[in-house]
Amino acid sequence: MTFLALTNVCKVFPNATTPAVDNFNLKVERGEFISFLGPSGCGKTTTLRMVAGFEFPTAGAITIDGKDITGVRPNQRNIGMVFQSYALFPNMTVADNIGFGLKVKGTPKAEIKQRVAEMLTLIKLEQLGGRYPYQLSGGQQQRVALARALAIRPQLLLLDEPLSALDAKIRVSLRNEIRAIQRQLGITTIYVTHDQEEALSLSDRVVVMNAGVIEQIGAPFEVYNFPKTAFVASFVGTLNIFDARVDDPARGVLRLADATILVEPTHLSGLRAGDAVKVAMRPEMIHIESTGAVDENVLTGVVENVAFLGAVARIHLRVGEMTVLVDEFNNPHLAVPAVGSTLTCYFAREGCIVLS
Amino acid sequence: MSQRAGWFAWLIFVIGALYFILPLFGTFVFSLQKVRGSLGFSAYEAAFANPDFLRTFLFSSLIAALTIIVSLALIVPTAFWVNLRMPRWRGVVEFITLLPFVIPAIVLVFGVIRTYGKPLTLFGIPLLPPLLNTELSTNIVLVAAYTVLSLPYMYRATDNGLRAMDVRTLAEAAQSLGANWFTVLARVILPNLRTALLSGALLTFAIVIGEYTIAAFLARPMFGPYLQLQVRNRAYEAAALTIVAFALTWVAMGIIDLITRQRATPLTGGR
Ligand SMILES: Nc1ncnc2c1ncn2[C@@H]1O[C@H](COP(=O)(O)OP(=O)(O)OP(=O)(O)O)[C@@H](O)[C@H]1O
Ligand SMILES: [Mg+2]
Repeated sequence: MTFLALTNVCKVFPNATTPAVDNFNLKVERGEFISFLGPSGCGKTTTLRMVAGFEFPTAGAITIDGKDITGVRPNQRNIGMVFQSYALFPNMTVADNIGFGLKVKGTPKAEIKQRVAEMLTLIKLEQLGGRYPYQLSGGQQQRVALARALAIRPQLLLLDEPLSALDAKIRVSLRNEIRAIQRQLGITTIYVTHDQEEALSLSDRVVVMNAGVIEQIGAPFEVYNFPKTAFVASFVGTLNIFDARVDDPARGVLRLADATILVEPTHLSGLRAGDAVKVAMRPEMIHIESTGAVDENVLTGVVENVAFLGAVARIHLRVGEMTVLVDEFNNPHLAVPAVGSTLTCYFAREGCIVLS
Repeated sequence: MSQRAGWFAWLIFVIGALYFILPLFGTFVFSLQKVRGSLGFSAYEAAFANPDFLRTFLFSSLIAALTIIVSLALIVPTAFWVNLRMPRWRGVVEFITLLPFVIPAIVLVFGVIRTYGKPLTLFGIPLLPPLLNTELSTNIVLVAAYTVLSLPYMYRATDNGLRAMDVRTLAEAAQSLGANWFTVLARVILPNLRTALLSGALLTFAIVIGEYTIAAFLARPMFGPYLQLQVRNRAYEAAALTIVAFALTWVAMGIIDLITRQRATPLTGGR
């Protein structure tokens, strides 16, 4: 059953010409981990703030567990919120920060103490209850902020780019920690990020947004492999996009520069010979062809550059006017191709996405 | 390069410190010279011996304390709201709070006397009886006038304090945890403004203790007019009083600091 529902939610700020959020529809299941992913200014924060109650929708409704909360004040919603800037209260110790929400509600002292201890254990900072926020590292501060939000047993947890102020190593370890805690508590969570790796690795489902509009909602696997729009295809992951022309739609034949390539004919339904299309493929779907046995979807070019990224080597291959990115898995026994050498690659027709 | 910059910074610091300390030191030395040819505290003895000293100083302290309370009650919510909800009004509010710098105290006090010396009416409808008729209501007018004088200092101090923290996010964090606006102000914003408000209060206290024009024209037994009288008649005692008033002002602030200090809250939180 749907736990959180946003129905036709719109937000137009005063004096704005275009809506910050336009006709937003989303249903979230209890316990689900949802990410909002999109470029800067696409309305992620605005949507999250409407759920939290800090902004009111211009139109539409938000319900939690069947109850309409659209007009409810933020302090009546029982929603935990974690901010990019931690927002710990500087005048309070870690323990007082975590206990703040319970204290405000008038919870008995002994109960607060017990809950704070529980939370400190959850975030593995048992020893630091007496410290002040400025005596903690950024990662520790954000864990305290998480504990503070969770201490009130919120019905929903909202995180707005909680990791973007931290350095790369901590970002990865803390995001896994957040996900583990979320699973352990089974709390319904919305996570805002513009980092696609974060969104893909953490979420049950990703909401890809652009310019205030939802482009696609789907599991990470779906969004990555079956992008519904050109925006999703180009925003999520790295993509080769080429201009091509339809040659024979029934057989899935396209002309790509001088080459003829084959794609799934279903991609070309409704198109006619001569139509301009864009063909997209992931770098990891293109492979180096060294056997000479493949004769379908083959591209030959000159190696322009090789970027060694660790797990993969990204080869920039110049094919006519185009630059094709090819990812090869790292293998210590195979040397990467030399810059300037000629290389032949191929890709399976299933790896092609056609964007019209 | 940085060596020279450090040296230069120190030079500026020393010049600044001298600028403040030298007049005080000069006054202090002067106050010790009541008995010709020797240094001693007889000027202080004489000053303390005059019962008017303590009377006026205590009265001024009381008025100062009331001014601080009224000023805080007026300025803190205003500055908070301007920062949080109405940033577009910042310019207007700043302009209003700076008016006391532009309008001389003498103009202010004549305005006050003209307005409150007779019954206050609006379009012929009587609103208030003449406030300057009784001592109590005159004292109220005095506090109100000093609150106006304190506006620039109080507002600036509060505004600086608010800008030093992320008011909006802190308020939202507290709200999401169930706090209402009052709790947000009392438990989150005010405790973090302590240092800023203290400095605003210190300035207000100092202004009220030393203020002459308004106190004299409203004929209240304040310390400023008393000091003025002493300067005319007894130069050494006046110097001694200045030093004492200065010290007492700091003591008063120390007391406020002690009272408002909660447990081990660091004065300079954050980095
Ligand atoms: N208080 C506001 N008043 C007017 N416009 C606003 C306000 N807040 C946000 N906007 C506008 O709404 C749009 C969406 O902003 P929002 O903060 O939701 O973006 P975002 O997706 O969170 O971006 P980022 O990744 O940079 O945080 C932007 O064009 C922004 O300028
Ligand atoms: Mg944002």
